[in-house]
Amino acid sequence: MLEKKLIAKLEKIVGKGVVLTSKEDLTTYSYDGTTTWAHMPEVVVLPTTAEQVSQILKLADDSKVPVTPRGAGTNVSGGSIPIKGGIVLCTVKMNKILDINKTNLTATVEPGVVLQDFNMALAKQGLFYPPDPQSFLGCTVGGTIAENAGGPYCVKYGVTKQYVLGLEVVLANGYIMKLGGVTVKNRTGYELMMLFTGSEGTLGVITKITLRLIPMPLASKTMMAVFDDMAVGGQAVSNILASGVVPAKIEFVDNFVLRRIEEMMPMGLPVDAQALLLLMADGSPTAVEAETEQIVDTLKKSGAREVKVAKDAEEAAKYWKMRSAGFAATFGAAKTVLAEDVAVPRDKLAEFIGKLGEISERTGFFISNLGHAGDGNLHPAIFTDVSDKENFAKAQEAMEEIFEAALSLGGVLSGEHGIGLEKQRFLKRAMDPVALNLMIKIKSLLDPNHILNPGKIWEEERV
Amino acid sequence: MAQSYDRYEQIKRFEKDLSQCMKCGFCTFWCPIYQEEKIEASVARGKNMMIRGLLAGELDYTSEYADRLNKCTLCMACTVNCPAKANIPNVIVAARADTVKARGLKFPYNIVYRWLLPRRRLFGWVVRFASWFQGIFMPKTEGTIRHLSMFLSALGKGRNIPQIAPKFLRQMVPVINKPPAGVKTEMRVGYFSGCITDFVLPHLGKHIIDFLTKNGVEVVVPREQGCCGAPVFLGAGDFETGRKMADANVKAFEGLDYVVSDCATCASALKSYAKFLADTPQRKKAYDKFAKKVKDISEFLVDVLKLPASAYKPSAEAKGKKVTWHDPCHLSRHLGITSQPRQVIRSIPGVEYVEMPNADRCCGMAGAFSVNYYDLSKDIADKKAASIESTGADIVVSGCPGCEIQLIDCMVRNKLPVKVMHIMELVE
Ligand SMILES: Cc1cc2nc3c(=O)[nH]c(=O)nc-3n(C[C@H](O)[C@H](O)[C@H](O)COP(=O)(O)OP(=O)(O)OC[C@H]3O[C@@H](n4cnc5c(N)ncnc54)[C@H](O)[C@@H]3O)c2cc1C
Ligand code: SF4
Ligand code: SF4
Repeated sequence: MLEKKLIAKLEKIVGKGVVLTSKEDLTTYSYDGTTTWAHMPEVVVLPTTAEQVSQILKLADDSKVPVTPRGAGTNVSGGSIPIKGGIVLCTVKMNKILDINKTNLTATVEPGVVLQDFNMALAKQGLFYPPDPQSFLGCTVGGTIAENAGGPYCVKYGVTKQYVLGLEVVLANGYIMKLGGVTVKNRTGYELMMLFTGSEGTLGVITKITLRLIPMPLASKTMMAVFDDMAVGGQAVSNILASGVVPAKIEFVDNFVLRRIEEMMPMGLPVDAQALLLLMADGSPTAVEAETEQIVDTLKKSGAREVKVAKDAEEAAKYWKMRSAGFAATFGAAKTVLAEDVAVPRDKLAEFIGKLGEISERTGFFISNLGHAGDGNLHPAIFTDVSDKENFAKAQEAMEEIFEAALSLGGVLSGEHGIGLEKQRFLKRAMDPVALNLMIKIKSLLDPNHILNPGKIWEEERV
Repeated sequence: MAQSYDRYEQIKRFEKDLSQCMKCGFCTFWCPIYQEEKIEASVARGKNMMIRGLLAGELDYTSEYADRLNKCTLCMACTVNCPAKANIPNVIVAARADTVKARGLKFPYNIVYRWLLPRRRLFGWVVRFASWFQGIFMPKTEGTIRHLSMFLSALGKGRNIPQIAPKFLRQMVPVINKPPAGVKTEMRVGYFSGCITDFVLPHLGKHIIDFLTKNGVEVVVPREQGCCGAPVFLGAGDFETGRKMADANVKAFEGLDYVVSDCATCASALKSYAKFLADTPQRKKAYDKFAKKVKDISEFLVDVLKLPASAYKPSAEAKGKKVTWHDPCHLSRHLGITSQPRQVIRSIPGVEYVEMPNADRCCGMAGAFSVNYYDLSKDIADKKAASIESTGADIVVSGCPGCEIQLIDCMVRNKLPVKVMHIMELVE
């Protein structure tokens, strides 16, 4: 239990009303977007300034109380769960867009700005920030930095880390540190910003972010391709990339997800298809025309049964809405869903999909699949039930086989969701041991008392 | 969390909604309460997880629990935008009901809900009694609007609201209202008069009845009808009293093919008797049948009566004015009625229609919610005010007297020269 004195001190820092201690409120900060992880914090604070964050961390560091940073709690790796209790430091009240600079093509925001609010503010000025995790209605910009999030647009435009120009980070000892700046190029020392981008709240609390922007593309076209064989669809993706065009998005859903979506929102999808690819070309109107033609041609040559080009924005929006329902379609399908986030080299997609089929046959678990095919980033899912111990254990074994398959093809454990709690069991196998050790040393250097999001990323006994 | 539904009869009925939430957090974007408070317990995801905590035995019926559950306008913005199609407002209403069943109602709600609201005449008398004091103790504000301390009718708290009418609707119109001489009777319908129309805006009720009779509809206003029950079973979770009120209303309109309402909240409450209150197969059957008869006034005019555009003539107040429409939650998301009111407004010659941004955003009224959380309710309303202002409209219309009261207060507070009217006041 936290001392009463500590709560009083927190209240002194941020004011009453934004320090939550009732059991009811604590319950609502015990979970994130994962299905099974949960742990209660002892107190929740919602600061509004970096200065307050600094004082909170100093207090926590002095008293050796764990602090788990949290944005909107939409991550799906257990990242924002206060697994050791202590303080949840929630950034959602730090939600000002501080600057949008149309000439420098940059924006500076506080961490709690919701990604969609940011997108809407940018759209008003004809600007575009490409990283688009499909949780954009909920997730905060700070959360996307801490998770180095990605999304459909990342095939062409890259992930979050490619857009971070400057950060303000509060260190565990309370120091408010400035990194980077507002220039696109910056070669001043180590790329320390990258250390915090993707750090999952374990190294510091991000309190200000400067991002690179691009002008809103003038035109776009959306295509949907239908395949009778999943691996053929995977090969088509590699063929498109090899043909010399990089579409803005290449997304993939399998037959299972497709049928679930059609059930949830009937829209006349080809429910017998084994795989659907959704693609987008964007840029200047003439480039979009030419690229669309080339993509359609490659899709057909690669064995697509049918290729449709959305005739207007409305039809395109319908296709993308369908894709974004994929997550709900998967997660609503069983009591417990083990959804993974592996990424493989893009020329190995077809091979990986083949391996998934073999694993499914060998283990007897049905594996559903959807993902950002253009990045080689897939979310294969296994349906189980935690309360059925035997089944759950077997499901986890099947999941391990999926990881092994991805790693054996030169792939990685997590493409975008992070390690958090969910995947730390596998980290040893997925990382060079020296690199892993270095990571832990960096953590100890920046946060000697291990107060920041302790228990995350690697398994504890290594420390 | 291991959950048990044993002690939670009503929540159990919405087990599917409760378990369907996958905690994606998308509802934070849509929830008017979360947008103000930015606290997880404000939003559907958090409330649902609290209820799961109750079922798991980790939480109890504490005042904090009740507070978090009550702090929801049941606007359904979370639901229509939920990728998992989880209807958390269902779970919230059910949880309120289980709380009341286990713990009873607190003063003064026990008096108002159990005793007063179900007795329309007595309620009217009490409201009248309160109205004698409103002018004496409270300062006057602009026009016909006064501050009114009206805890009994659950509206007051320093809010700018219209005064209690000198004469109630039931004292102004007979039970049977026939079309005037020379107009053929095409249809016979029942008119459901909500509490606000009856006591505060009776001229609106009278006006609608006149409009209907003029267009060949015989209108029956059964005296046995009472409050729709929304504040009682949806707001407070008192299902037992709710059932009494539902049974009375179902009986009052027996033998009539349609029940027309000018209040979106009433219409949606009347239609949700079956969902929440049907505890026996007989009630289920009766409530289902009743629900089919209930029509919002704009829905009735457009879909049932199918009035030609020529039937809509601008009223003196509306002629030549720029008008915008506020979608009441109970009309747009609860009943799916969005095109009919717009069609009616667009049919009126000499009235210019402008759509406001976020027309379907909750205005923050929600009955007792706006009394218990007036500051929060005001903050939500101020967002609406900004939307309304951006249209440059002269008049904002709605289809719910509850929203109207909120909007009047909000226009006065924001010093906006925009008139608030019911959609039917646009037509002659
Ligand atoms: C339906 C759904 C779809 C999703 N789709 C995608 C997708 O397409 N691509 C993708 O990459 N992810 C996706 N995600 C995962 C998730 O939305 C992202 O990881 C997102 O970036 C998390 O943001 P958040 O604000 O919710 O952060 P939280 O979940 O609150 O926190 C995430 C991590 O960041 C840390 N953190 C948060 N804020 C700060 C801060 N200011 N300083 C330091 N650390 C901080 C936390 O400690 C935690 O470790 C999806 C999730 C859901 C539920
Ligand atoms: S949007 Fe739906 S599924 Fe997502 S958290 Fe809210 S209620 Fe749950
Ligand atoms: S019904 Fe409205 S107020 Fe209640 S949780 Fe849903 S969005 Fe929020």
